[in-house]
Amino acid sequence: MPETETTNFGTISFAPESVFEFPHGLPGFEDRRQFLPVQNPATAPILFLQSLEDPALCFTTLPIWVVDRHYRLHVTEQDLEILGLPADRQPRIGDEVMCLAVLAIRKAGTTANLLAPVVVNLKTYQAVQAVSPETGYSHQHPLFPQEAAAC
Amino acid sequence: MSRRQGETILIGGEIEIVIAHIGRSRVKVGIRAPRQMPVVAQEVKLVGEENHAAAQPPSAPVLQAILAQLIPGSHTFSALSDEGIVRQDAGDKN
Repeated sequence: MPETETTNFGTISFAPESVFEFPHGLPGFEDRRQFLPVQNPATAPILFLQSLEDPALCFTTLPIWVVDRHYRLHVTEQDLEILGLPADRQPRIGDEVMCLAVLAIRKAGTTANLLAPVVVNLKTYQAVQAVSPETGYSHQHPLFPQEAAAC
Repeated sequence: MSRRQGETILIGGEIEIVIAHIGRSRVKVGIRAPRQMPVVAQEVKLVGEENHAAAQPPSAPVLQAILAQLIPGSHTFSALSDEGIVRQDAGDKN
C-alpha cells in the first residue's frame, strides 16, 4: 500500500483507489489534483481532504447536509462533464455523488463554503469544486449562526 | 456602452465579448480571449481566496470545539450515512 507524508497526520498509508481526482485542481490550487479523504472516528463527521502533492495542504470538510439539511446542489454543465455525469440533470447526493462543504476556521467563527461545494462522483472518484453562483449560497456561510450573531 | 443581443464588444485586438442571449434576469456572454488569459466568473476568484483561508486544518482543541457544537444537532448523523462516505471507521462515533 502506498504511503504519503503529511504535516497533520504524519505518514499515512492509503488505497490508491480511494484517492479523489480533481482534473483541474481547485480554485486557488489549480495544480493540486489528488486528494485523499481522511476520516478519524474521533472527529466524524468531519472529513479531511489531504493533498497527495503538498504535505501541508489539507482541507477540512463536512457533508453538505450536515451544514444545511435542505441544501440544493447545482452543478454547471461544464462541471458535470468533468465528473462524467449526465449534463441534463442534477446529480443525486449520496447516490451518485458525495457533496462536501469546505470549512474555513477563523477567529470570528467557522464558515462553510456553500457557494462552491466539493462534488465527488462516487463511482469514479472524479471530483470538482463546483462553483455555482446561480444558487445564491454564500462562500462564508456561518456554521453556527448564533456564534456569528454574537460577533 | 449599450449592446443588443448578438452584438459584440472588442477589447484591444484580442478579446471579444458577445452578448449571446438576454434573458429576464440573466445575460449569457460569449468571451473569446487568448489562451493564456484565464476567463472566470468573479466567484471563482472568491472561492480561490476562501480555499487559501481554508487550506490547513484547525488545531485539535478548535476541532473539538466545532464538533461539540455540531453534535447536539442529532440530525447530522443521519445525513452522514446518506452521504455515502465509505472511508475507514465512519459512524463509529461514541
